[in-house]
Order: sequence, then structure tokens, then C-alpha cells
Amino acid sequence: MNLEILLAIAFGGSFITYISGRISKKLRNIFAILISVGLIGFIGSLFGNTTEETICPGFWNFPLNLRINMLSWFFAITIAIIGALAIIFSLQYIKEKERTDFYYLMILLVNSSMIGIVLSGDLILFYIFWEIMSWSTFLLISYSRGPAISAGMKYIVMSIAGSVAMLVGILSLYTHYGTFIIADLSNQLSLNTPGFVLFIFILFFIAFGIKNAVWPFHTWLPPAHSEAPSPFSAILSGILVRMGMYGFLVIFFVIAGIDLFINLGSRLVHFNTILAWIGAINIIIPTFIAMLQNDSKRLLAWHGVGQGGYMVLGIAIGSSLGIAGGTFHIINHTSYIALLFLVVGAIEYCTKGIRDLNSLGGLIKKMPVTFIGALVGACGLIGIPLTNGFVSKWLIYKTLITDGYPFLAFAALLGTWGTILSLFKFIHNIFLGQLPEKYKNIKKPPFSMQLPIIILSLIIVTFGIIPGIPLKVINQIMISSGIDSLNITLWGVNSETGTINMLNIFTALLITGVLIWLIFKGSKKAKQIDQYDNYTAGTYVPKDKYHYSVEFYGPLNRMLRPYLKDFIDTFYLKLAKSVKNLGNGIRQIYAGDIGYYVTYIVFFLALLIFIQLKWTLW
Amino acid sequence: MDTMVNTILEIIAIILLALLIGLFFLGLSRKITARMHWRYGPPITQPVIDIIKYFNQTSTSHGYLFSFGLILSLSGCIVLLLFLPFGHWCPLSSSGGLLVVLYLMLVSPLGLALSGGEAANPNASIGISRKFLLAMGYEIPLLLIVVGVMSYYDTISIVEIVDKQLQTGCSFQHLPLLLSGLAYVLILPAITGMRPFEMIQAPQEIASGPMAEYSGKFLAFTTIQHALNLFIGISLFTNLFLGGASNPGYFFLKTLVVLIVMLIVNAVFPRFRVEQAIRYLWKWSSALALIGLIIVAIT
Repeated sequence: MNLEILLAIAFGGSFITYISGRISKKLRNIFAILISVGLIGFIGSLFGNTTEETICPGFWNFPLNLRINMLSWFFAITIAIIGALAIIFSLQYIKEKERTDFYYLMILLVNSSMIGIVLSGDLILFYIFWEIMSWSTFLLISYSRGPAISAGMKYIVMSIAGSVAMLVGILSLYTHYGTFIIADLSNQLSLNTPGFVLFIFILFFIAFGIKNAVWPFHTWLPPAHSEAPSPFSAILSGILVRMGMYGFLVIFFVIAGIDLFINLGSRLVHFNTILAWIGAINIIIPTFIAMLQNDSKRLLAWHGVGQGGYMVLGIAIGSSLGIAGGTFHIINHTSYIALLFLVVGAIEYCTKGIRDLNSLGGLIKKMPVTFIGALVGACGLIGIPLTNGFVSKWLIYKTLITDGYPFLAFAALLGTWGTILSLFKFIHNIFLGQLPEKYKNIKKPPFSMQLPIIILSLIIVTFGIIPGIPLKVINQIMISSGIDSLNITLWGVNSETGTINMLNIFTALLITGVLIWLIFKGSKKAKQIDQYDNYTAGTYVPKDKYHYSVEFYGPLNRMLRPYLKDFIDTFYLKLAKSVKNLGNGIRQIYAGDIGYYVTYIVFFLALLIFIQLKWTLW
Repeated sequence: MDTMVNTILEIIAIILLALLIGLFFLGLSRKITARMHWRYGPPITQPVIDIIKYFNQTSTSHGYLFSFGLILSLSGCIVLLLFLPFGHWCPLSSSGGLLVVLYLMLVSPLGLALSGGEAANPNASIGISRKFLLAMGYEIPLLLIVVGVMSYYDTISIVEIVDKQLQTGCSFQHLPLLLSGLAYVLILPAITGMRPFEMIQAPQEIASGPMAEYSGKFLAFTTIQHALNLFIGISLFTNLFLGGASNPGYFFLKTLVVLIVMLIVNAVFPRFRVEQAIRYLWKWSSALALIGLIIVAIT
């Protein structure tokens, strides 16, 4: 009963918000916040429940089920938190824009449909919610019009392709087992031939891979993320894209089961090995492409693609550490990428829409809180120790090395160094260096924008120092899916081949940091000087043109640019063009003149008569 | 309780010794390079004299991050020391192993980069950009090498790697690791930022790069950081490929030999440009390291 109420609040709330927006803007904002924060509380109170309920016994003779277990709860709470923070951030961000009621309706609808997806207990509801999510996302991506329309178009075309693949997959499962209910389907797949299992896996891989932006289905993501309104980019990159990961977890570990997943394949090559290699490609190529970007949101978007590779890689290995790492990385990624998109949103808001990394600089003095958010988020994305990204990546690396995948481990580690380059460029070009004169009087972002940034930074650091909290939940998920559990402590993971203990690292860094700070404080005080008071080895300093940011990694860019082309995107665009040409060609036949059609009919009849005369078929 | 006290004593001893050795190495490297160039060179104690002098001078600051970055960089270096076995001392051995070492190696340059970026001096920014590019250059072979070593010994714990070498001879005696070891020798000067890879500071081109805006105590801290960095780079190599050592004294001798050999080979080279350095690192040492990793993966 609870779950029905939950979904009713979520969906009903979005429409109430829309209607109340017609009455007053303030009322609408209050409703939007109440509903999104209320959802966090509601879902939080469901912690530990494992129930399955039939909400509609006969929807065209198929029962519709809702269910909650640790896996759904884990995703649902993440969705609710990110959704609420994005809405709080939107209050100021979207204020000046048009069609705000519509914006709130859509953003709440996206949240509700995502909660619906993770709570649905059968594949029909799953598909329905999936479609609601896809379409409302399309409307939000194209919210700003202009180039956003084509970005949204790219998204929805690929999304429909994925949905069709999923529909075929769902129907094939139904024709074999006569049920749509996920719980009934689980562990049934092993009774069938490996060929059928592979067929199902590939279909669902396409469906969820497109949503999860797995290489080679990633091409919709960079334009969509950069064109969407920033708070929605946070949701989009943070959790919406990761619905694909939820799908992977459901199809591979709940429906198929871990044994089937690992053992599918011939002696030469296994399905999960191929998946792992796709994950590795997915890490390296986007991470290096990100380095060439000059648009801050596009840079982050490419990292969104790249980090997805770690999750795929983690779960594809299929060891307990790998699955734990991959799943943990989902929420870690959610927290830091959402944070970074919100930071970009705050900068966009304060500088009146500047996203170009080459025309900012020195903003640390004007928005220190935003800078701290950016730094924490960047550290999380890189995986610096004491942030949550480090722990999940550590788990993945460790399993890759000790299970004997040295090349995959190399690919995963290399991704980190690509990340540090582009993320430092991101921080440096926006916050460090000289403050241009035109931003001298810039205001810092309002509190409603800073609050989500502060909360997300705290989450990142807390989970980095005490990774035991989320890992214990993940452990529960793994136990319920029949995967060997891990020995989780509050501060890390114990295992016989190597342990991690964040408490030691934290204490060591803290104590040395404090000691050095004391020495620093104790010695002679330094004099504060202006940014133009620089040592330049005797050369003249032109004011305002003295921020080294354009082509920050010039030499490397010149070396790599010829090789770093998104040839998959080029291929899709060519494909789209040739389909269009084909369509144009076919259209030529329908000239609209009755004479032509008569001619066609006569020719066709003549052809039939000729065939009959020659071969006497009828 | 006894082990606790022991650990704390070890930690203090490691930090102080590493500091002394690092400063000694810094002085020694200047002296040896000078002698190779037919100059007389400063006394070996020059870095220590410098530090004392710097602390007495006035300094200028560009903001909070300017100091914070430096503190972060130095604490990153010191914590990193605690993860590397110093002889048989390794106080934080059970907290994540070599993977943590790889990540902690990021903290120090990142801190320095943040501090340099806050200086709002384009020379500093150019230096930082060069540092990251150079890091990208040597990280590819380094990662190939480290992954190779970890896979060969089938552990991520650096203490276990050292133990196994103490039992079965150093990594150079294990044939599959030979190529990886040679690749490491090639990239070692890049990791420690020595000639021909000192384009990060390059006083003649970019006014000492990230150091341009430092003065007084800031310079003292960067000198200490530089010294520790030099020691860490050599220490990692010694632990991974020369079998570490069973006691700290012996370990010191090994690192000293590595330093002197490295200096004698590298002091005669002129400085690389950054793209030349990347090309060199990606071509020769990466190729060696890749073949090394393939050999390790096959055997």
C-alpha cells in the first residue's frame, strides 16, 4: 500500500505543482520543494522493507506489481535526494526564464518516473515508466530551444531505438515464460539455451546501454548534457543516465543470476569479458576527448560517459569486489557529477550564461563556496583519497589486478590521469588565475544555490572517509542477489589479499596537515598582495589579458587531436543522412499526380502478366 | 600499546630521516651536476642553509589557496612517505597498498598546482600545465610498469612485494620484469623532475614556473617538498625493483647509489621541450613497459 501512495504523491505532486503555478509562483515553489523533500523522507522511512504488492490484478490480464527491496531503495533514495537538491537549486536559476511551470512539472515528472522504474515489480510497469522518463527528459533537454532542440532530437531518436530493443526483449521473455513479473522471471533463464540468453542479453544491453551512454551508444549524451538547463543536467548525468546501470543490475543479477552471467560464452571468450572491454574503451576514449573541450558542461558530459565505463567494468568482472565497486561508483558519480553541474550552473547564473572555459578566470575570490564545491567535486571525480570516488575505484582496480586482468587495470588507471588533466583545466580556467575586469563586481550565488553545493560536498567527503555506510547497503544488495558478501568495516573493506582503511589515511593527512599549518602560522606572516603585483621577469604586464587558459594543454592537444575524433558520432550522422536521402528518393515516387499512379498500376499489372506468361506461377 | 608507541616512533623517524636524506640528495645532486659541468658548485649543505634563510625573510601571499595548496602538497608528500617501506619500517602498510601510493602521488602536484594557479601569474600557470603534461607522459609507462609488478607478484601490497623480493631476489633477477625495470630506469628522471625533464621550472623561459610567486617561508616549504619528492621517486623504484632492504641503513645506501647513477647519466643532457619529452616517454619507455606487461601477462 505504501508504494502506491508514494507513487501517487510523486506523480500527483508534479501536476499539483503545475496547477498551483497558475495561481502563484511562490505557492508553486513551496509545493515543488515540499514534494521533493517529502519524497526523501518517505523513501527513507521504507529502509529495510522487502515487499511486493499487486496494485492492479488485471491490466489486460497481466497483474501489475510494485516492489521494494534493498536495490530499489538504494536507487530510489539517490533519485529523491538529487531531485530535491536540483529543485532547490532551480529556484533562483530558472526564475528569470519563461515557461517555469512547465519546467517544474517536467523535472518532477522525471523524478517520479525514475522512482517508478526502480519500484516496478514487473516489466510492463517498468516499460511504461521508462517511456515517461524518456519523453519528459526529451522535453527538458530541448527546454532552451535553439541548439537544444537538435540535441533533444538526437537523444529521443536513440532512446526510441533502445526502447524498441527493450520491448522485443520483454516480449521474448514473455513468450518463453508466460510472465512479466521480475521475481518470477529470476533464475528461469538458465533453463534455456545459451543462444537465447545471449539474445536477451544483447537486446537489453542495447536498451540500457543507450540510456547509460555506453560506448558505442554514447553520442547523444554530450550535446544533451550541455544544452539542458544546469540543474537538470545534474539529474540527467547524475542519476537518469544511471537508470541504465539499474537495468544492467536487474537483467544480469536479478533476472539472469550471477552464475549464468559469468559463465555465458565459449571457452575462448566470455560475454562478461567483452562487456568489460567495452567498459575499458568507454573509460579511455571519452576521458581523453574531454581534455579537448572548451565548454565546461561538455567537458563534464564527456566525463559522465567516461565514468560510466568504471561501473560497467566493475559489474562486468562479476567478482564481489567488482560488483560492489561498480555499484558504489554509481552513487559516487551521482554525487560529484551533480555537484559539478550545479557549480557550472552557479557560474552560468552569476556571469549571465558564460560556459566557455576560455573567457572566465579568478572567480575563487568572488565565489569561494562554489570553488570549494568544485574542488571537492573534481577530487571525487579524479578519485583523490578521502573522497568517495577513491574508494569505489580502489575496489575496481583491486579486483582487476588480483583476478588477473592487467590490461583492463591499466585502462582503468589511465582514465584517472586523463581525468586529472581535464579537471584541473576546469578548475584553473574558471577559478584560478587572474580575475578579468568585467567580473570585478560579480555577485556570489544566492544561498539556495550554495546549499545544494554544500550538501553534496559533505556527502562526497563523508562517504570518502566512512565508506562503510553505503557499502553495507550494497553488501545487502549483493547478498539478496546471491553474490558472495564482503567483509565491510565502517572505514573500509577487509579482505585477505589487501585491505583498505580510510581512517588511517584520514588521520595521517589530518595530523600532518595541521602540523604543517601550525609551522606555517608560526613563521613570519606573509603580506597580502594584489593579483597584478606579479613577478614577470622584467616584461610588461598587459592588464586583463594575462590569464593563461586558452589551449591550456596545447602541446598534448596538438599531438592527440587527429586521433581523438568521435568517429562513432560521425558514423551515426552519416547513417542518418543516408536514411534521409533514401527517404527523399522514395518520396519522389509519390508525385501526387494521378497520372503517375495509373502508370504504376499498369506497369505492375504488365509485370504480373509477364511473370504468369513466362513461368505460369498461378 | 607497545606496538602503538613503536608505530608512532617509526612514523617520526621516517619523516625526519626522509627529510634529511631528501635535503642531502638535493645538495648532492647540485654538487655532482656542477662537478660534471666543470663548475665548483655550492656546498652540499646549501639546501639546509637556504631553508633557514628563507624562514627569516619576508614573504608575500596571493590568498588562502596560495598557502593551503602548499600545505596540502607537503602533507600529501609526508603521508605518501608512510606508505612506502623504508627498510622494514612501513607504518601504514595495511591501508590500501600500492594503489593508494599511486593516488597519493597525485595529491602533491595537485596542491602545488592549486597554489600556483592562485598566484595569477601566467608563468606559474604555464609551469603547471607543463607539469601535468609531463605527468601524463610518464604516468602511462609508470602505470604499465606498476600494473605489471602487481600482477607478477599477484598482490597490491607494497610490503608483500618487498618481502617476496627479499626471499627470491630483486625484481631485476626475475626475467619477466626485466623490461619493466628498464622502462622505469628511463622514466625515473621524469618522475623526480631532474634534468632533462626540468622544463617545469625552466628559469630562463618561464621565470621558475610555479615557483615564480613564492617567497620567504613559501620557498622554504617548496624546497622541503622538492626534497621529499626526490626521495619518494627514488624510494618507490628501490622498493619495486631493487628489493627494498631489510633495514633502513641499507635502504639509504641503495637509494644513494640510484641517485648517483641517475645523476651521472642525466647531468649531460640539455633540457627537453615538453612535447619532445612526451614523445620520448610515450615512445621508448611505454613500448618497453608494454612489452614487459605482455610478458608478465603471458607467464
